[in-house]
Amino acid sequence: MTAHQAAGDKAGPVRRLTGAAGVSLAAADPADPAGPAAPVRGSRGRHAGPAASPPGAAAQRAAMASRMRRGLAACRAYPLATTGGGIVVAMAAFCFLGPLVYHTDQLHVFLSQANLTPRSGHPLGTDGDGTDELGRLMTGGQVSLELAAAAGVLAAVLGSLWGAVAGYLGGAADAVMMRVVDAGIAIPAVVLLLLLTSIYQPSTAMLVLVIAGTSWLSTARLVRAEALTLRMREYVQAAVVMGGGSFRIILRHIAPNAIGTIVVNVTFQIANAILILATLSWLGMGVQFPHVDWGDMIASATQTISDGYWWEILAPGAAITLVVVAFAMLGDGLRDAFSEAGYDAVPASAAEADRPVPGPGAR
Amino acid sequence: MSGPPSGPVLEITGLHTEIRRNGAAVRAVDGVSLTVAAGECLGLVGESGCGKTMTARSVMRLLPAGGVITAGSVVLAGTELTALSERNMQTIRGNDVGMVFQDPSSSLDPTMQVGRQIAESVVVHRGASRAVATARAIEMLSLVKIADPERVARGYPHQLSGGMRQRAMIAAALACEPRLLIADEPTTALDVTTQRDILDLIGDLRAALGMAVILVTHDLGVIAGRTERVAVMYGGRIVEQAATSAVFARPRHPYTEALFEALPEMASSRLASRGLYSIPGRPPDLVTRSPGCSFAQRCRYVRDWCATHEPALDGDHPGHSYACFFPVGVMGQGGADGQGGADGQGGAGGRNTLISAWVSGRGRQAAGREATAVPADPAAEPLLRVSGLVKDYPVAGGVLGRRSGAVSAVADVSFELLAGQTFGLVGESGSGKTTLARLLVGLERPDAGAIVFDGADLAAMSARQRRQRRSGIQLMFQDSFASLDPRMRVRSILSEPLAIHKTVRRRGYRRQVLRILDEVGLPADAENQYARAFSGGQRQRLALARALIQRPALIVADEPVSALDVSVQAQILNLMRKLQRQYELSYLFISHDLSVIRYMADTIGVMYLGKLVETGPAQEICTAPGHPYTASLIAAVPAVVTGPEVTQPRPAGTLLAGTLLAGTGQPGMTALPGASGPPVAGPDPAHPPSGCRFRVRCAFARDVCAEQEPALRPHAVPGQLVACHFPLGPAAAGQVAGRTAPSIA
Amino acid sequence: MTVYLARRALQAVAVVLLVTLIVFGLVRLAPGGVTTAVLGSGSAHQQFLAQYLTWLGRVLSGNLGRSARLNESVGALLAASLPRTLVLTGVSTLIALLVAVPVGLLQAVRRSSTVDHVLRGLTYLCYGMPPFVLGSVLILYFAVDWHFFGAEGPQAAGIGGVLADPRDLTLPVLTLALVTIAIFARYMRSSALDSLDQEYVQAARARGGGERRVIVSHVLRNSLVPVVTLIGLSLPQIVGGALVVEILFNFQGMGWQIWQAAVNHDVPVTLGFTLVIGVAAAVGSLLADIGYAILDPRVRISRP
Repeated sequence: MTAHQAAGDKAGPVRRLTGAAGVSLAAADPADPAGPAAPVRGSRGRHAGPAASPPGAAAQRAAMASRMRRGLAACRAYPLATTGGGIVVAMAAFCFLGPLVYHTDQLHVFLSQANLTPRSGHPLGTDGDGTDELGRLMTGGQVSLELAAAAGVLAAVLGSLWGAVAGYLGGAADAVMMRVVDAGIAIPAVVLLLLLTSIYQPSTAMLVLVIAGTSWLSTARLVRAEALTLRMREYVQAAVVMGGGSFRIILRHIAPNAIGTIVVNVTFQIANAILILATLSWLGMGVQFPHVDWGDMIASATQTISDGYWWEILAPGAAITLVVVAFAMLGDGLRDAFSEAGYDAVPASAAEADRPVPGPGAR
Repeated sequence: MSGPPSGPVLEITGLHTEIRRNGAAVRAVDGVSLTVAAGECLGLVGESGCGKTMTARSVMRLLPAGGVITAGSVVLAGTELTALSERNMQTIRGNDVGMVFQDPSSSLDPTMQVGRQIAESVVVHRGASRAVATARAIEMLSLVKIADPERVARGYPHQLSGGMRQRAMIAAALACEPRLLIADEPTTALDVTTQRDILDLIGDLRAALGMAVILVTHDLGVIAGRTERVAVMYGGRIVEQAATSAVFARPRHPYTEALFEALPEMASSRLASRGLYSIPGRPPDLVTRSPGCSFAQRCRYVRDWCATHEPALDGDHPGHSYACFFPVGVMGQGGADGQGGADGQGGAGGRNTLISAWVSGRGRQAAGREATAVPADPAAEPLLRVSGLVKDYPVAGGVLGRRSGAVSAVADVSFELLAGQTFGLVGESGSGKTTLARLLVGLERPDAGAIVFDGADLAAMSARQRRQRRSGIQLMFQDSFASLDPRMRVRSILSEPLAIHKTVRRRGYRRQVLRILDEVGLPADAENQYARAFSGGQRQRLALARALIQRPALIVADEPVSALDVSVQAQILNLMRKLQRQYELSYLFISHDLSVIRYMADTIGVMYLGKLVETGPAQEICTAPGHPYTASLIAAVPAVVTGPEVTQPRPAGTLLAGTLLAGTGQPGMTALPGASGPPVAGPDPAHPPSGCRFRVRCAFARDVCAEQEPALRPHAVPGQLVACHFPLGPAAAGQVAGRTAPSIA
Repeated sequence: MTVYLARRALQAVAVVLLVTLIVFGLVRLAPGGVTTAVLGSGSAHQQFLAQYLTWLGRVLSGNLGRSARLNESVGALLAASLPRTLVLTGVSTLIALLVAVPVGLLQAVRRSSTVDHVLRGLTYLCYGMPPFVLGSVLILYFAVDWHFFGAEGPQAAGIGGVLADPRDLTLPVLTLALVTIAIFARYMRSSALDSLDQEYVQAARARGGGERRVIVSHVLRNSLVPVVTLIGLSLPQIVGGALVVEILFNFQGMGWQIWQAAVNHDVPVTLGFTLVIGVAAAVGSLLADIGYAILDPRVRISRP
């Protein structure tokens, strides 16, 4: 089988997956009989001709409708990403919009109401302070999601910059920068965080900084490997031959092709940050009173674990798990989507270029 | 398993194989019937996607995910394979049928010793003990003519060269002495000289073991002279089947005929100005079934009847069957409709001339270059003058990664190229062709030497100076998938050069893009597509358009057609020549394929291990080479043999050791060098041989070759330069034509 | 291979030095007399580099300092807790490998089947569940409700003592193993999928090997090569998980000690333990690379 044929075979499922017929250039171009052309996702070209010529509301409506159809088709094609994304949106709505309809008192202690099993009025029961679990799940979730999103995005940005610079510079600078990453990765994030929190007084801003500061390393590895491969791509070399400068090459060729990897990595970084934040809070070194997050809720529950108050652990535990799994699914799904949409090389894992050794997607 | 000794070993009847994925079924094999007799070699030919590989895999029942045999029967020596349970099928695989795959570097397990892989089938089918298995592996390795088999058996695949890996694969396929060997594109990934050795080996083993062989290939040259019969596949079906000589002498199906005419070797002097024939349209969609002949839409002899009726595979006399209502050479279609291909090239009128040109073989004075815009004028100042070009790549070694040596990629290369002409650069992989291309376009900096282009020395300029100079040299890559940015639309890809150099105002981009799309034969609405929407040939057109939009004086084309099917290759070659005439372009055309180079080039340069060993006018070099390496390259090109010169079945031998081992000394079967040393892939470019770099593989080498490096000296024809102490005379050149030239050791 | 390993060893030394620098730098940047607490009062006026070298010299001679809170040296605390952590991580990692490799392989072989989807869901679950939640749930049911196992880890000293108490050891090991399985199985699945796609697998089938033989001798072997390196790379994560598990189960290993020290601002102890863990992880990664070199002939035997 020739390379050509292999590519045609690979393209096959994509076409049928989307249900959108590839643009048939064959009809217009009888000159080229080579293998089945890879189809175009979303078949933009099919609409470009007719849609552009009769301007008007009808055409716009048609374009809108087709865009929605394409969106739906994409959702059906990537159930993993759709489910993950859906859960993330639902959880965010639950945490931020939920308190608008479900009012609870999260500030006062009602010892008479302490440790109630789930019942009407308290669908998820109450905790040791007599606070409603469901309401606390919402406010705690706000803290968890906000901080984790901030830390995750920050880590991805930091790591991408570091990795891109190392990969672009190469040579000795690359070696030194990557040994720093190796050293950082060698110390478990939680241990490093404990060391830091034993010295510094934790604040919300510092938590974000510290979590990002320990998480960016895996992104740096990933993006460096990506930069190294992209730099050797033939289309980048073609741009060099054309006389394109480094700025243009990075902006027009490397960045757009690396963006898939980075977007996927952001989702994993957020999942990771949720886990780290929960762990820190559970250790009593996370967000400080009066803020409470999901990790705090479990921390107070584990202290009374021998009493068997299962709802106090299961509810926040399930919330954390659900969100982390949702982000991981979203990331895995996006990776599939990106690679099928023709993005260049979205690696399955953090691979270092000089040895074929990948690490896990996150953590 | 036992079967009758005579009669067909394999009989496929009405085989239908579908690949079902995501609710759609691709009819990859659509009613194939064929037989292979004991000791016979059948060539299964066709372009990519025609179903030849799927037919081969259906026999083994090793289909990709979703693959199902929906109808038909496959009978191997009396056993119906389609009805066997998976467990029983396993007793057939490797035991009665052996298979060799295309890419030897990926078909051997990198973590398992070569010997264990070879003996795997013996262990599975014969329950051989470890000692017996090892002995068998060593025996098989010597059978496939590998030097030092004990050592190789203990080694791992990565220690072997490509050709040796393919030998090991053949050894593994034959370890149980199967009745049938299926070789699926066994030489496509190899160099020409290695290709010939492997094909010779398969031929010899077939004769020695008396087994049947199915040779699956896209390359008509490979089956010529090596197969008794040939089956041409198109759109999942066999469209023509006959004795090889009959098909080559007188193809009856229009598709077969078109395939032949698309070969660059076929360009007669008359047709050269019109270009090669290229088949219009694209292969049929195997998902939806349409009535009529599947080739009708692309056939130049098509009649109304063809669109509605399906031709059966039958023929005018037994032994030559074809699926066509209006076969070539029966009806005088030439006068009847006069319909040329959509390209308006290679019309039917030229067919008879063409066949006769074909029959006259390789000795003809082919492809006159009267089409070239600028006649070669020796007094003219060359567009490009390369002199003394050197490029070494450092080799890092040791604990600290210090520079411990250098790979000499390009060593002291000099040549000239006149405006409007084509310089063809040919050589095996690792000869430094690509490095030379990268040096010319400025992707690498030479260590020494000058590249004088249009009066200025590019090698002396800084990268910035070159950029600002808007170099008139552009590059075309081999892999059209990789050379177009997947995130960009065609519009942006093509206008990028304009944006970089700001030669045109932004408003003018679109006009330029549409114009260039038209020039390379792509529709205007292509501008909104991403590159992945295009087929390989279309992508190569895009690559050409991108290079051309800057109006360069020279395009360096690095293997631009080697990933393409023959008919698409013909389109690209035609297009390149058309544009050359139109714009007075010069090409530096790099290829491993001598016939392509010969068709395209005015001047040829032959590279070996970084050295230019011979250069001169294309026709003269191809007919009377001066350097032994050139001669062996030419001899290794699978020549199309016509007429009754079909391979004679050799007396069958047994697989007892000793009798076959004597074959090691056969001409053309010479074992690789270093019989006592470690297996090597040929000379190591990090340690090139002293004196003449070719001497270790040269049959004529003498002491002086090791002591003194030969310089390029004028040879027989004006303009021909040869770097050899003992260049071949015209007599030796005659030998080459007769394929008796010394093979490369 | 020697060259490859020597180069890797040099890299590991550089990484270890960087670990010490990072750890010390973090402490040095802290406000207040933290550095003095570690180095003693004589160091207050010294420059960063001098302080670092003094400290490094002491560490290299085996002196990790004294706890600010307990009347014990850091070395003695380490000697007491290290074996306990080794048992926990070692047993868990072993179990995780024994489970994750077949599970990932099964998923890859039965790709997109119900089995694959169910197992994939389970690995997602183990991946997304923080160890303290998983551990708490296990305690809640297996210890509190059903009294199968103890809710606290073994309190006996030494490796033998810990292993002699399987009833208390089960839940901590199970928790850590489940978390680790999620990492390994996900990876093993994609590694095996890669191997299954290779042409040599098809070639092995063409030689008549049964599916079991093909998978065991070709797919498994090739998929394991990258997994070995993954073990080295995930050591820090496993140790991080162990820390949480130790605290949850009140199992007095290194993680528990660090946590105690962190809560009580006992900087010499956190500093010393962090350093030891970092160095161990760097060495572990080196060991994994050695294992990788042994498994993969392409590294073991370089081309002549």
